[in-house]
Amino acid sequence: MTLALQLWGGLTESLRKLGAAILFLIEILKQCPGALARPRLISQQVHNSGVLSLVIIMTSAFFVGMVIGLQGYDSLSRLRQEDILGAGVALTLFKELGPVVTALLFAGRAGTALASEIGLMRATDQLSAMEVMAIDPIRRIVAPRFLGAVISVPLLTTVFNAIGILGAWFIGVLVMGVDNGAFWSQMQEFVDPPDIFEGVWKSVVFGITAGLVAVFEGYNAPPTAEGVGMATTRTVVTTSILVLVFDYVITAFLI
Amino acid sequence: MTDDIIVQVSGLQFSRSGRPIFSGLDLAIPRGSITAIMGPSGTGKTTLLRMITGQLRPQAGEVTVAGQNVASLSRSKLFDLRRRMGMLFQNSALLTDFSVFENVAFPLRENTRLPDELIRHVVLTKLNSVGLRGAAELMPSELSGGMSRRVAMARAIVMDPELLLYDEPFSGLDPISLGVVLRLIRLNNDALDLTSVVVSHDVAEINQIADHCFVISEGKVIASGPPKDLASSSSELVRQFMTGAADGPVPFHYPAPDYAEQLLGTS
Repeated sequence: MTLALQLWGGLTESLRKLGAAILFLIEILKQCPGALARPRLISQQVHNSGVLSLVIIMTSAFFVGMVIGLQGYDSLSRLRQEDILGAGVALTLFKELGPVVTALLFAGRAGTALASEIGLMRATDQLSAMEVMAIDPIRRIVAPRFLGAVISVPLLTTVFNAIGILGAWFIGVLVMGVDNGAFWSQMQEFVDPPDIFEGVWKSVVFGITAGLVAVFEGYNAPPTAEGVGMATTRTVVTTSILVLVFDYVITAFLI
Repeated sequence: MTDDIIVQVSGLQFSRSGRPIFSGLDLAIPRGSITAIMGPSGTGKTTLLRMITGQLRPQAGEVTVAGQNVASLSRSKLFDLRRRMGMLFQNSALLTDFSVFENVAFPLRENTRLPDELIRHVVLTKLNSVGLRGAAELMPSELSGGMSRRVAMARAIVMDPELLLYDEPFSGLDPISLGVVLRLIRLNNDALDLTSVVVSHDVAEINQIADHCFVISEGKVIASGPPKDLASSSSELVRQFMTGAADGPVPFHYPAPDYAEQLLGTS
């Protein structure tokens, strides 16, 4: 009985939070035209969230590409099909690993920074001060950061895919001896525009998800040190789960 | 409400987590004066300021500012009203990523279309009035507590408000900074022809600058009048508060079981 009550309490709390997040998203979207009128604020956020994430994205992409290259070569060579390694790597990266791993890394690097920055502004009354100065914090602080994330994640995904393919090429062609021409021509042969668009759609959805969760958690963080810390943790956990859930849903619709 | 009254609070009721904060609070703040709102910690002084600025809504009753019921205003009307107010937060609430200059310029940049050159003139004038023109390029992390308070004051007056709200402006200041802040509150009020509302429990400082005081306790105004009159109030609670006596209607000891019984372990 107690367990059932706890489950019910957890469910209603989750639904309440989902409703609050949707209302928050609507409020952000209403303020987006005002934020877009000041592109400098958005480019600053693309720099903070996107450009500053490049090192972790590129490093991870290279190693992920090398692992796929190695595993792909090992599996394909058993079937004497190692020439299609390039196509296999590209499809894996474009359709799945690129958008998903980029979003997870973005949540860990930039999502946490966004949540803690906004949470700290809440805790130190900076958001309240803006309200009193007749400046809407959602327009001035939240919307540019949300848009920065929505723009950054697809761009970072593109970089991730490119570097990942480079990593696979390095291990497959230079180390394992796969034919260079076959690697690239098979990729050209088997990768179609819908495969690329599948990844693009996913990266846009993941960008919205990662951006919304980060700004929502930061904006609603309790104004204490522990509250900001918990908001940061929740940002990573919630974004990671939602990205994997949405990945399955989008794949199921598009495949 | 007459034109002489800028803030009118009537029948205000508000509770938080089941604990009543205000239970029928009534007060009126006259234009042009420095009005102090005093009371022991936890009596809802800051909550009252947040209701005047429309950050919190009363559960019953009304808060009227410049003839407008704050809780009934649309968001855009509320923002219009807030442009006529300034507020100094207890922790200054400066934007930590901006320099002193940019902090003071922030309301002008966001709320007006003034050219940069004019903004520069206004900001330097306001910083000069609080004695910090020379600190314009410093970052908030490089300021002392007293300097932060003065920068926040310059930011609060940069839009030339009619009503300036101070939340605990004297807490944590050294004697020199305290003297400077006291002087600036009086000077700002008189030179800029505005109305000041000072929330504080620092009796000595309030005695020096306030024209009128309200003492709040248990959700209601228990005394009001010029500060010097309150020290001789007939209310024991008001006298205890104004003289800072350790014991009285507000007891020194938090309610507890009998001391001897507790030590002997019989309770």
